[in-house]
Amino acid sequence: MNPTTDQASATAKGLPAGSWRAAALLAVVAAYLLATAYIAQSDLGFQSLVLVTAVFGILAISLDLVAGMLGLYSLGQGGFFGIGAYMTTILANDQGWNVFGLLVLVLVVAGLAGVAVGAMSLRVSGLYFAITTFIFTLVLTVLATDMVNVTGGLQGLLGPAFPDFPDALQWLGTPLVWCTMTGLLLCLVLVWNIRHSPFYPILLSIRDAEPFAEAAGARTAAIKVGVFGVSAAIAGGAGWLFSFLGVVSPSQFDWSVSLNVLVMVLIGGINTTIGPVIGAMFVSMFPNVVNINPWLQEIVYGALSILAITLLPDGIVGVAKRILAPLIGRSAPAPEIVAFGETSSPAIVPAPAGPTSGDEIIVECRGIEFGYGLGPKVLRNVDLAVRRGHIHGLIGPNGSGKSTLANVISGRLTPHAGAVLVKGKRVDGMPASSRSRLGLRRTFQAAQLVKELTLTQNVMVGLFDRVPGIVRRAALWPMLPSGRRDLAAMHRRSVDTLALVGAGEWSSRQVGNVPHGIEQLTQLATVCVAGPDVIVLDEPATGLSAKEVRHLATILANLKTQGVTMIIIEHQTRFLFPLCDRVTVLNAGEVILTGSADEVRSDPVVRQVYLGE
Amino acid sequence: MLQFLLSGVAIGSIYGLIGMALAISFYVTRIINFAQGQLMMVTVMITAELASSGHPVWLAAAAGLASSCIIGILSYLIAVRPILLSNRFSFGWLVSTLGFAVIVENAAAYIWGPTSQAFPPILNSISVPIGSAVLTAQQILAIVTAAVLAAGFEIVRRYTLFGKLGMATAADPEMASAIGANTTVVAIVAFAVSAAFAGIAGLLIGPTTFANPYLGDTFGTYGFIAMMIGGGTERPIAAMFGGILLGVCAEGANGLINSQASDWFPFIVLVVILIVSPKGLFSASNPLFRPRRPASASR
Repeated sequence: MNPTTDQASATAKGLPAGSWRAAALLAVVAAYLLATAYIAQSDLGFQSLVLVTAVFGILAISLDLVAGMLGLYSLGQGGFFGIGAYMTTILANDQGWNVFGLLVLVLVVAGLAGVAVGAMSLRVSGLYFAITTFIFTLVLTVLATDMVNVTGGLQGLLGPAFPDFPDALQWLGTPLVWCTMTGLLLCLVLVWNIRHSPFYPILLSIRDAEPFAEAAGARTAAIKVGVFGVSAAIAGGAGWLFSFLGVVSPSQFDWSVSLNVLVMVLIGGINTTIGPVIGAMFVSMFPNVVNINPWLQEIVYGALSILAITLLPDGIVGVAKRILAPLIGRSAPAPEIVAFGETSSPAIVPAPAGPTSGDEIIVECRGIEFGYGLGPKVLRNVDLAVRRGHIHGLIGPNGSGKSTLANVISGRLTPHAGAVLVKGKRVDGMPASSRSRLGLRRTFQAAQLVKELTLTQNVMVGLFDRVPGIVRRAALWPMLPSGRRDLAAMHRRSVDTLALVGAGEWSSRQVGNVPHGIEQLTQLATVCVAGPDVIVLDEPATGLSAKEVRHLATILANLKTQGVTMIIIEHQTRFLFPLCDRVTVLNAGEVILTGSADEVRSDPVVRQVYLGE
Repeated sequence: MLQFLLSGVAIGSIYGLIGMALAISFYVTRIINFAQGQLMMVTVMITAELASSGHPVWLAAAAGLASSCIIGILSYLIAVRPILLSNRFSFGWLVSTLGFAVIVENAAAYIWGPTSQAFPPILNSISVPIGSAVLTAQQILAIVTAAVLAAGFEIVRRYTLFGKLGMATAADPEMASAIGANTTVVAIVAFAVSAAFAGIAGLLIGPTTFANPYLGDTFGTYGFIAMMIGGGTERPIAAMFGGILLGVCAEGANGLINSQASDWFPFIVLVVILIVSPKGLFSASNPLFRPRRPASASR
């Protein structure tokens, strides 16, 4: 990575202190290059220590990419690492292939292996993902041990030699040092870029609130598999570097290596750019710093890792941040808390694309049947027709199937029979993410948001399918002029939308630190920001105070004047009925009645089953 | 053929016991104790040490089991509880239980040295012909012990208040403590029981493997595979079935393919099983044993 691109990335944010940041970044990169030059000239013992640390740093970064940003605790990194090292060693030694050509091959093969393993193990999540990837590593280790003819068995193989610099560059010192340190820098820049792109909030929303990401149009399974593939490719690249350091043998890639890499990430600080490298330094340099009886040394190492993980759950970087935050003054003064009921909002939410005529049926359900597992049917022959521009209420007692119907319409659930049509198009085979592209958005009964991100960042997730190439450009985002421009536009639009729903004062707060009412409004902003045609709201008024409910009603009424169609599930009929053009009443999975609010209110059956008379 | 089957069941019972040990602590705390194999090793080492210094074998074995239980409880108090207290869903326990395993293993290597030591033969020298096969009495002891322990555990889990308390703690610790369960005590008992299971496995296999500080690694891994094959993460007894399947596969592969096959064949079995049924063969959610439900997200 050369200084000019970093300069570009520094000015990327377009902050007032842009040139300051550029200078600081330039200084950091210059220092990094000077340090590399120093290491490249120093003695071999020190060099190999630094090289091992750097290789494990890259490996730790590759793990943090999936563990920190996607919550996928992969124990397969050791396996991909081994694939890289063995491929390089075997093909360079036996077939005499060019090592740089091999790097490309290794990245591709390890990446594809990652995609395959990812696709297979993502059927399960959380702990089972860790276990499946763990077994992948276990199997590779066994193969490497048993295929003695190819891999040399437990003895291992001597890695290839790294090519020398051409004569003109001999003064630079050891070429492998330059190569490894460049690799490490590239990886750091990659994760830094991703963290400063709009892809980052999307990754975190997939991690913490997958239904939300899906409803915003993100194909979450594909993104997970893809990012896991990238992570595997990086781990393979680390293996490529490792093969030049000496002997390649199964014990260097077994499951304990995968766990050690996780130790590095957790100790350094998960989901931080520099944390994994700091963790790698701790783990790799430990044996050299503490030079005692090897068993005692291991005991001290075990004790230290327990202490580190129990006393510093956020890792070294987390602690450093907490200590440094007041010094830097980053912790901006808390915004004044204004009860949002006071701020009237002239909701000029981005207008939807289509015309606003009241006759066209925009969402239609025909004969929907659905049941969970083997239990009784939750929805039986449900028909529903929602006209464009209407607010359509959906009421019914608890367990009548309202939320299930909302999930069927928005694509979380697939009906057993029947058809769902949006704008005349059949959508019941489509995933939720594709429906979002048709202009259908939804909110959730229990707010699905990323607690550690700000309100603005959460709302930006809602723009996922409105800005092209978010995934494609993420790796270089802050360096691209188009990226900077789009990010600024997305930011502005998100802040504006938050202001329109009346949560503007809170926009730079983290979601975890705002009251429930603001959380609900943020949810509303995440759907409004995309300018949808249809919004499905699942109990938007739950847990709001009377004042907040009135505020919400104003916003929804304003949205309606913009021509947005809404399907609202709600228990508070006093809030719902004045808004609605039509109301559908569900009971025990069947539609009892569809009509105007007055008709519903006066219907004897409805009064009996729902209004409790 | 009968020989492979029987010796497979014998070694499989041992894997199953360790798998169940892992599953019992997982069951209550939702963490995998990576020090489980080392807990087994502690029993083996202490028993070997005491027996070789002239104590009766039963006393040595009891002391070995007791020390495993104590270290098991320590592993909970030191490596698990602080992590779960700060964040019940974090993965920090991966690091801390592994760290604990490293400490125990290297402490043993430091005290006794890395080489193997003699272990009392118990019943290993008696051979019992069964049909065309020959087993040692020790192997038969292993099968019987494993069956009794597995059945006993299942009965306690299902039919006693304490077992139900364990289930409640597993499902939702906060709720369990809200209805008056002391979840810490439940967890400590679970870790002690799981250490005892691992220790008993050690006593059963010790005469064959001898006492080595690095025993825990191998047997911990096999126990883990047993748990995964069986689906012990949902029902501890499933780990026993998984272990027996694993043992039979390994012995069968050794005899029928070649003598190295037990190194890799179980892994192939494991991969195939996990592809078919990611949560294990005998788990409640195995699609093979349940009518297929339509793809649906949980409500």
